[in-house]
Amino acid sequence: MRVAFKITRTLLGHVFDDLNRPHPFAAERVGFLSCRVGELKPSGWIVLAYDFHQVADGDYLRDRTVGAMIGPAAIRKAMQIALSDEVCMFHVHVHGHCGQPSFSGVDLRETAKFVPDFWHVRPHLVHGAIVLSLDSAAGLCWHPQYSKPFQFSDLSTVGAPMSVVRSVE
Amino acid sequence: MKERLKRQSFLGSQSDRILGDCAVTIVGLGGGGSHIAQQLTHLGVTKFLLIDPDRVEESNLNRLVGATAEDATQKTQKTLTASRLMRGINPRVHADCLDGKWQEFHQFLRGSDIVFGCLDTYRDRYELEITARRYLVPYIDIGMDVNEVEGGFSVSGQVILSMPGCLCMRCLGFLRDDLLAREVENYGAAGGRPQVVWANGALASAAVAVFTQLFTPWHGDHRASVYLEYDGNNQTVTTSNRLLHMRASSVPTSCTSRISVTRFGFQKTLEKRLPGFCKPASGAKAVSLH
Repeated sequence: MRVAFKITRTLLGHVFDDLNRPHPFAAERVGFLSCRVGELKPSGWIVLAYDFHQVADGDYLRDRTVGAMIGPAAIRKAMQIALSDEVCMFHVHVHGHCGQPSFSGVDLRETAKFVPDFWHVRPHLVHGAIVLSLDSAAGLCWHPQYSKPFQFSDLSTVGAPMSVVRSVE
Repeated sequence: MKERLKRQSFLGSQSDRILGDCAVTIVGLGGGGSHIAQQLTHLGVTKFLLIDPDRVEESNLNRLVGATAEDATQKTQKTLTASRLMRGINPRVHADCLDGKWQEFHQFLRGSDIVFGCLDTYRDRYELEITARRYLVPYIDIGMDVNEVEGGFSVSGQVILSMPGCLCMRCLGFLRDDLLAREVENYGAAGGRPQVVWANGALASAAVAVFTQLFTPWHGDHRASVYLEYDGNNQTVTTSNRLLHMRASSVPTSCTSRISVTRFGFQKTLEKRLPGFCKPASGAKAVSLH
């Protein structure tokens, strides 16, 4: 299954600008990308990043195990966007290194918890998570008809210059 | 780097992989599209989607790169002529050929990294640009025309890069409602669809240069909006005054202006929203005025 993700260079700049802001106690910020999805021929999906939604400072909670995490208010706001705008929602955060990033165990555990929440409001859409490094990215998306998530196979930054990263087929 | 691409090593150590991975769609494999197909293959692009409903005719042989007299006799599909030419240059080329109007196959464009439009009508250009931008696919348009002027004919043409989120062909003034409306009655004042090989070649070369600069920039001047005008009577290709004017002043555009600074391989962006008169593409938030 091919899953292609595209984001404009401008929008990506907004994401980095927001996620790089310091937070009073959270070591890293997170946000949500609202996306639209189309089918790819012969099989697969294309995920188009449409807008970025920051998580408010007050929606982070202190956590004994990981330091900080986003609370239910942040998830509720993201769910409201999914409902109102009829969009797919992708959790996004940055790992501050160069090269191919990967999801940590905590990332995978927490993502697997909240992604099904979005199916309560948009049950027929894919939702997921994206981790950015300073020069690359990785993504997972969950489809309601499949039990396991799919990895992004193509990641495109659309602008000048163009950047297209494909996973080995 | 592959031996065949060594002479273009200035495009970067990864350029053969980048170009080899790039999925290119060419809509229209006539006088312009056949040149582009040939040049991109020489450049190292190997993944193509070719779309054209037409077959080779005798009247195409004045300009259709790769077509033979036998093709005209056999009325070979233009996509087949192009793919044959491309595989002759590089047997690793994979070209999917769709022999029909591009509107019948628009969903196939979604997976492309870039679309070249080599179309005859403003209406087709308009629709193809919208389709490409909708799926965040950069669109490069080329076209030429010949018009009767006092004392002879004027050969002209254009190359436009329409980047999602940046200036569209309407913003640039190339597509206008009155042109779309007048198209049918005025098109081809010098005879039905006038085309010549040298003008097609000049425009195609400029378009391929725009593509190459976008994917394997060999210098730091990244341009998200390009509008080149070809003057076939004086043999010049220059940046359109319309684009220069928009760069120099805050002319209302469909989107926004952008000042960008490269950082971490991405670009930090400062935006200034401008009054708009047409909607930005889906997923688009800003316009680049380089």
